[in-house]
Amino acid sequence: MRTRSQSSFSFSCSLFTLLLVTIATLVHTSSAGKSASSTGDSVLVILEPAKKAEYSIFLNGLEDKGYTVTIRAPKEEQPLLIEAGLPNFSHVVLLASDTKNFAKDISPQSLVQLLSLGTNLVLTLGLKQNLLTSLAPEFSLLLPPPATPLVSYFPERSDPPSIIPIDVSSQSIPNDTFSVLSSQVTGKVWFSGTAFALNSNPLLFPILHAPLESFAADLSDASGRVSDALADASEKGGEGLWAGSSLSVVAGFQTLIGGGTGHGADAGLGEDNQARAVWVGGSSLFSDEFAKKKVVEKVQQERGMKVVENPSGNTQAASEIAGWAFQERGVLRIDEVTHHKVNQTEPLEMYTNNDEIVYTIRISSFNPSTRKWEPYSGLKDLQLEFTMLDPHVRIALPPVSGKSGVYSTTFRAPDRHGVFKFVISYKRKGFTHLIHTLSIPVVPPRHDGYPRFLSAAWPYYAGAISTSVGFLVFCAIYIAGEAKEEKEKRSKKE
Amino acid sequence: MAPKSSSSFTFTKPSSQSASSSLSALLSAYTTQTTPRLKFIDAFLVFLLSSGVLQFVYCVLVTNFPFNAFLAGFSSTVGQFVLTASLRQQVNPENKVEFKEVSHERAFADFVLGSIVLHFFVYNFLG
Repeated sequence: MRTRSQSSFSFSCSLFTLLLVTIATLVHTSSAGKSASSTGDSVLVILEPAKKAEYSIFLNGLEDKGYTVTIRAPKEEQPLLIEAGLPNFSHVVLLASDTKNFAKDISPQSLVQLLSLGTNLVLTLGLKQNLLTSLAPEFSLLLPPPATPLVSYFPERSDPPSIIPIDVSSQSIPNDTFSVLSSQVTGKVWFSGTAFALNSNPLLFPILHAPLESFAADLSDASGRVSDALADASEKGGEGLWAGSSLSVVAGFQTLIGGGTGHGADAGLGEDNQARAVWVGGSSLFSDEFAKKKVVEKVQQERGMKVVENPSGNTQAASEIAGWAFQERGVLRIDEVTHHKVNQTEPLEMYTNNDEIVYTIRISSFNPSTRKWEPYSGLKDLQLEFTMLDPHVRIALPPVSGKSGVYSTTFRAPDRHGVFKFVISYKRKGFTHLIHTLSIPVVPPRHDGYPRFLSAAWPYYAGAISTSVGFLVFCAIYIAGEAKEEKEKRSKKE
Repeated sequence: MAPKSSSSFTFTKPSSQSASSSLSALLSAYTTQTTPRLKFIDAFLVFLLSSGVLQFVYCVLVTNFPFNAFLAGFSSTVGQFVLTASLRQQVNPENKVEFKEVSHERAFADFVLGSIVLHFFVYNFLG
């Protein structure tokens, strides 16, 4: 009796576990996570707890998007960024830009290691020198001398010259089909902090440029009065003037690590852990103060000028800058790669010279609002390479109309045998890099694979056949003649 | 006989005259002295010769592209010509002294066997 009840208990236990596992897998497959990010929900914000209230709009916005936000003071030892070689958080935001000394485990090396482990970073620069100003050159950022904020006297306003409204609508970056700051960012974005120049690193791109009239200047000697120290230094042959719209105040960096689909044997490094880093010139861009600060503009009207107060675009811009960094937007994925001969459906183990090959790829993009991967046909400049050391074929891979997310092309295999690769290497600023290689041998035709009975050879066929027929006829007549001769001989004898 | 008399007249005429006369002598000797069996073999040889020449001209002027087909077609005519020529040698009554131990039937059987082997290779090589 007792054993029976025990067994029924264990049975119900296992049933319960099975149910749990099923539910867990269902939840796991139905969506990438509960946040709008494609890579994870946990965010660590490194910030003095006292200053938490200054960033409440930004932090609440993150929680509204489904992130779990953890605040850690810069000098606190816990929670660790990396524990036992694994990152503790999916995303790290460093808002403590003016802090000089950080805890042991927050170092330039650990931040770079976080990136290589697939953790996304938002890094804000301060006016003082700290670990970030020494890390920035590693990302090809060129920083002006310390304590030289960006300054602009235009447009005319009552604010100090170091607090600058930046027009977002005129900037469409980083590429033609995708912009980190969407059209939802209405109004100008308040900025205060340091600007930086970008070196020629292909992985780095500007998200927000400094205004045309702005420049980096030393404001330390008098309130609101700009010293000419930097301009003088540049005239004496220093490192140049830090001015104009070639400077950036926000820049994005997409790492090259990982790539591939994570499917099959040719999936690159096997893990799709490309991380993103965003550099912001000043943490105040995320602050409540700038989010609530009105932009005062003079608008030309029929009856003279009119002063209009517009809300700033900081809330939306901060959300979208962090959203790009947290891999919400501009995230692409290769779902499936297939290839086959024209008029066939099954992929071949190897192709023959001059075969017509159809190559098809399915690409998805992450949709942060539905939190699902959706087929994406928006790429207009995708290319396929058929490579053996060099690309023998480089051909456009256009989207197939009517099938969303499917890109396909047909090309002729080169008249060259060897082990070739189908290579997709799509690296565009703002998008996840799409890297996929698939090896395929191209062989010469087999001995019976060549064309036979060509029309040009018919004279030769006719020659050989006529010789044979002639031989048969010759034999027949020859034998007939012999028989006749023997008859004549016999008749003569008789 | 005829060449001697004509050569005494001029220097240019006799060559053509003697050539034509010797040709006609050859032709008449061939028609009268050759057995009909040998004539029949010669006709087959002429057919093989013309077929081979035609194929060679086509190869030079038009294309040698499936070169194996050319080799097969051309060598079938050449091989058949050689075999037929040797048959003609063996059945010629004038060569009786040389081929004493080879009967006509034996010569013909050799010819047929050789031809069959030849055509076997030709058709293997043709496609």
